[in-house]
Amino acid sequence: MGTESLAHHSSSVKRQEEQLLVDRCRRGDRESFAQLMRLHEKQIYNFTYRMLGSEGEAEDLTQDIFIAAFRGIRSFRGEAKFSTWLYRIALNQARNRIKYLSRRNFFARQRRRADYGTNTVSETPEGLPDSAPTPEQWTMTKDLATQVQKCLDQIPLRARQILILRDIQGFSYDELSEMLSLKSGTVKSRLHRARAALRECLSEKLE
Amino acid sequence: MSCGKYQSQFNDYLDGDLSLRKREKLQYHLKECLGCYRKWSSLHKTQEILQQLPTLDPPEHLSAVVMARLKNRRLHRPLWFSGNLPRWLPLGVGATLLFLISVGLWQVMPSQYPWQSLFPGSRKNVVTSTRPAEPSQETFKIREGDSDSSAPVMVLRVKDFSRADQELQSMLRSFTRPPLPEKTSSSTPHARSARLIQLQVSGQRLPHLLRELHKIGHLDQSQVERQKLTNPGQQQQISIRIVVVSNGSDVEIRQLREGK
Repeated sequence: MGTESLAHHSSSVKRQEEQLLVDRCRRGDRESFAQLMRLHEKQIYNFTYRMLGSEGEAEDLTQDIFIAAFRGIRSFRGEAKFSTWLYRIALNQARNRIKYLSRRNFFARQRRRADYGTNTVSETPEGLPDSAPTPEQWTMTKDLATQVQKCLDQIPLRARQILILRDIQGFSYDELSEMLSLKSGTVKSRLHRARAALRECLSEKLE
Repeated sequence: MSCGKYQSQFNDYLDGDLSLRKREKLQYHLKECLGCYRKWSSLHKTQEILQQLPTLDPPEHLSAVVMARLKNRRLHRPLWFSGNLPRWLPLGVGATLLFLISVGLWQVMPSQYPWQSLFPGSRKNVVTSTRPAEPSQETFKIREGDSDSSAPVMVLRVKDFSRADQELQSMLRSFTRPPLPEKTSSSTPHARSARLIQLQVSGQRLPHLLRELHKIGHLDQSQVERQKLTNPGQQQQISIRIVVVSNGSDVEIRQLREGK
């Protein structure tokens, strides 16, 4: 059996197991839901973190996404992948949370805190080198990760979500068009614009 | 090919969607053109940075918190609240409710729009005219028993019954059709068509009655006018005796009065 068919077999087994868990959840089995959550919480948490740029808010939003998923799981018919369905919920919840936080000037306050350098340590991941990058190298440092997150926060919401899903989380165009209910061509053109916007922002900040 | 066209292929190149031939042409161009190379380089590095962004571990307590929150909630949402319903549904429900409320209000509240005449059956109990409502015909009452001789007398010389109110028409006709008593009718050849009616009419109703009687023909209302002058603004019911002459003359009327 080749590597490709092995991978395919493993993903199909994974999907069957996932479907079993979903079926049990639909019957109200909370333990199965806990298992499903453990499978997806890291991806969802990282998605929410990149969308909001704050660990605290990301944690709250992830909780809300899973609660919404549990409450709506009976409407999941298994036509799409569970992760696709879950991401649809995540996208809706994230949009609503961003609107809510924007009304309360959360992002403006966060930017001010970051500009004064009071937030950089708590809001950036650990284990990265502290040295400042040169534009030519642009290698990943703690500061560069912070600058990227700042740029992500600045670009429009639609561009941000598509960039996170494709270039950070690695979803395919087909999955993206299913999650966002858009045609593949629209997804592509939006992604191209989003990449250009981020490139422009990073160039300004790093050069 | 221009630089713009090469640059439009950058994203497909990044995604690995470019054919071998196009890819080779683009790679060759990037070696030749510094401007395009810089743009490509920054785009490529931007994507690399995004892919290299560290993955965060969620807090350890996350699933425990979610499960604890779920324990305090209802097990499932009802299906109709599952989020799978179309987005336009609340809007549709709202619009329908608004429409029903509007129809309800339209049925209840009086209005003056001309298009209401398109739906004549829909406003049966509503006054659509802007004119003040006229008292109903029931304020005319034919007095039973002895006639009141002090009541003012009006003489109506009828020309055309059909111009009056339907109700008034039929009432007057009913009093003119049967022949008068032999004693009165024999005095003059035209008296057969004359008849004395005693009406009770409210003060408010009187102008309307007079207007209708004027439509029918000549009306001598001098006695009534005198009565009105002596009791201005009368609201109580007054008695009127009307002498209806369907084919008569002043002489006949005078005779009728004298004979009474």
